Amino acid sequence: MTLDTYDATRSARRSADEQWSQRRDIERQLHDGPALRIAALTLRLGLLAQKARSDAGDLPRDIAELQDQLHLIQQELRAVADRIYPPLLQEAGLGAALRELAGSASMRVDADGGRFDTAVEGVAYFAVLGVLAALPPTTRTVDVVIRRDAEGLALDLGNVDTCQIDAVRDRVQWVGGVAAVFGGLIGTIKVRIPCE
Amino acid sequence: MRVAVADDGALFRDGLVMLLDAAGHEVVGCAADGDALVELLATEPADVAVLDIRMPPEPDGGLVTAERLRADHPGLGLLFLSHYAEAHYLIRVLHIGTDSIGYRLKEKVGSVEVLSDTLTRIRDGEIVIEPVLAQRLVEQPSSSRRDALVALSERETEVLRLMSEGRSNAGIASVLFVAAKSVEKHIASIFTKLGLPSDTAEHHRRVLAVLTFLRSQEGSG
Repeated sequence: MTLDTYDATRSARRSADEQWSQRRDIERQLHDGPALRIAALTLRLGLLAQKARSDAGDLPRDIAELQDQLHLIQQELRAVADRIYPPLLQEAGLGAALRELAGSASMRVDADGGRFDTAVEGVAYFAVLGVLAALPPTTRTVDVVIRRDAEGLALDLGNVDTCQIDAVRDRVQWVGGVAAVFGGLIGTIKVRIPCE
Repeated sequence: MRVAVADDGALFRDGLVMLLDAAGHEVVGCAADGDALVELLATEPADVAVLDIRMPPEPDGGLVTAERLRADHPGLGLLFLSHYAEAHYLIRVLHIGTDSIGYRLKEKVGSVEVLSDTLTRIRDGEIVIEPVLAQRLVEQPSSSRRDALVALSERETEVLRLMSEGRSNAGIASVLFVAAKSVEKHIASIFTKLGLPSDTAEHHRRVLAVLTFLRSQEGSG
């Protein structure tokens, strides 16, 4: 590698780090701002319901209905936060965040709990999500293995549609990663992303 | 009931104190982080401590603080509140303890009745799990457990969901308007169909066994 390409790689990685840190911060802002206000608002409505408990009309029912609506808004906000940077990814890492998906996707996750940079965890998480989304629902169980080796992140996606390799490569190249296919149409995609 | 509150969001903390007051509970003190809560409870006895999961010390100060509190005050009930109901945190909560403990969504404890019911159950030694999360675990178990759940009848699935909320036999019976005896029969049948050992009949161990089953992957217990 010449000095020029080395600098270009470093610069691309710095810009990726910055963008993923921003995404993580936006999620935190949603948590500390709107989500907090919505939760506090449901408590205020609860107080209002307590004051209105002698009301013989529809008021207590209307208040409970408003609280239900706020719960739905909170769930929608959560879904948005997940698409920006899942809170669990930030707090507990790639293995925990992917395991949380195991209910809605057919996937077995084997992770040793090691942590990686914000950008690497973000890129890897959304790369796995892309591969899962491309599979017809509940056709087969994807095997995800996450390890930390001397170079950085080693991520193996077994029993997947290997046509997804280009999409995976596009994502991981952003942080200097590489991806390769092993096996046939249904096989393993191996991803390696360098980390400090 | 004597309640201590720790949450780094002042807006939520203040609202919770007002609602606890309105429900007739005594708030023994408030803290904005886990360390301050530990300090507070060293001098102020309480029945239940309410903890935000995602507060300082970062990233999940509520959980590390609760581990210290369980060691210092084994009789203290713990209620974890969060904006998000995650199976990951539920399992961590249950590893802190399976009695006098609860995990609920912040926006779901916003009424005097629900808040008091949750706190009372925790003070009385029960586990209280956010129904939204219990339902999600039963409807969307880990992929290797789906086949086992298909074998359950509709009524058994309903009993499993209520068990996952931490409800006792009597609690399940009153929700379903059936006799406690028939709940016991359903539970025995669920345990057989899921292949869980029948010696986990004791309530707290049973909740843990069921939730661990729903979350776990084949071969990893």
